[in-house]
Amino acid sequence: MKMDLGRNLRVFSIGSLVLLLLLGFAGITQPMGVTPYEVDTAHSMILFRAKHNGVTYNYGRFNEFTGMIAMGSMDAGGHAKGYMVEFEVKAASVDTGNEKRDQHLRSSDFFSAKQFPVITFKSTEVKAKKGVEDVLEVTGDLELHGVKKSITVDVEITGRATGRDGESLIGFESIFTIKRSEFGMTYGMGGISDDIRLIVSIEAKHK
Amino acid sequence: MLIFKQLVFGLLLPAIVGGGLFVFASKSGRNQVEKATGLSFGWLVGVALGIGYIVGYIGLEGIPPFPPREGVHWLCYLALIGLILGAFWHFRRWIDVIAKLVVSIILPRLLLGSMFKYSWGQFEGIIWWVCLAVVIFIFWSTVRMSFILLPWNGWGAFVYFGLSGGTALILAVSGSLRLAQHAGILVALFAAIWLITLVSRRKLRPEDKAPVFPIGASAVIALMLAGIWMNGYFYEEVPASSAILLLISLFLTPVGQIAAVQRLGARRSAFVQVAVIALPVVVAIGIAIAFSGLFGENSGY
Repeated sequence: MKMDLGRNLRVFSIGSLVLLLLLGFAGITQPMGVTPYEVDTAHSMILFRAKHNGVTYNYGRFNEFTGMIAMGSMDAGGHAKGYMVEFEVKAASVDTGNEKRDQHLRSSDFFSAKQFPVITFKSTEVKAKKGVEDVLEVTGDLELHGVKKSITVDVEITGRATGRDGESLIGFESIFTIKRSEFGMTYGMGGISDDIRLIVSIEAKHK
Repeated sequence: MLIFKQLVFGLLLPAIVGGGLFVFASKSGRNQVEKATGLSFGWLVGVALGIGYIVGYIGLEGIPPFPPREGVHWLCYLALIGLILGAFWHFRRWIDVIAKLVVSIILPRLLLGSMFKYSWGQFEGIIWWVCLAVVIFIFWSTVRMSFILLPWNGWGAFVYFGLSGGTALILAVSGSLRLAQHAGILVALFAAIWLITLVSRRKLRPEDKAPVFPIGASAVIALMLAGIWMNGYFYEEVPASSAILLLISLFLTPVGQIAAVQRLGARRSAFVQVAVIALPVVVAIGIAIAFSGLFGENSGY
């Protein structure tokens, strides 16, 4: 039987092209009903506080971070579909208002910023908090100081609005406490508390 | 509580454990000379230093994770590798050379994984890797050479006491108190050995005298110092000039072999030799203090 090599090649090429287009389309589009938001870092804050010598709370912040949030849909049981939270924080951007202390925090005594330059959070599950309106329970992997640990935090939706350029805005706040020792940061436990409270206030926009 | 922990686990415990093992090693060494027993003095001193450091490490930090997550974790494993390698020195010479070469090549890749991953490009990484492997190999050989060339009394241990003390001070003023504590463990070990040597060697006959540190101890000492310095320079804020001065200080050991220095007599020539080695360490400390801003506006918090 004589093979029509030219025709077979054309069919194969067109088929491959269609398949690639379909795969590409699937990759770049969001699932139905999911709204992606980009964190507006100019109007967002990641603060932390630690107790010094068991006496006072010292506050600090991270100046450089990026984040993406996807808002999906909630079913009747409070289970969220299509929700996603992702953050990347530059450890070296820690700022407590004292350069000497910041340098110490960047060292291997604390953040080891040269060895672990990025702190990340990636959600694995989001659901509505039962009985509380506009509060989500976000579970995800927090990777800090090279240690990845699953945490669950309450996230309050603090507001929704439309921006000056017609973009959709949404605000979140989450206040939670982690133990730094669980992330391998054990230096100076007597003078600086193990419990570190994080206050994350986020404004995100959807263009 | 913090200071108590540092004193007990970071200084006292390693000094007692390392010093005790050193006494045992020294007695075995003398027996070896006199009775030709099978125990290797060279390896036992390496074991004394390695175990002493590991005890101090675990006291301060707990058992390190495996695989190590950060550069400091590697220090405990380097002590272990060092004390195992110490056993190789009296085997065939080529095994010893190959072991030294392999460790010199592997060490930068293991310890500086984050630099390869986040800071260096492929080409830059290879350049750093090759240079560091060469420097570690040469430094290791220099440590061995220093055992022979340093005076065979308390001065030999004093030089390493001073070198690790300078390292601890530089790290502390450069903002890494944790790493300074690890250099502090070495300070405690060398201080204990220095004192033991001062006391025990007075009674020795000249024909029984041997270098304070035998060749078998070179692996632990070279790897520990290299590990702490690499952590300090690449992961902390130790000034480059201070790191280089610390590194080159031991290269000045042959000063004691200069005829003019030897003509000064045993005691004076030893003093000159140690002073010349100490000079770059003192300058390195001065530079680190100047860079630290300790006496500037933003001096404390």
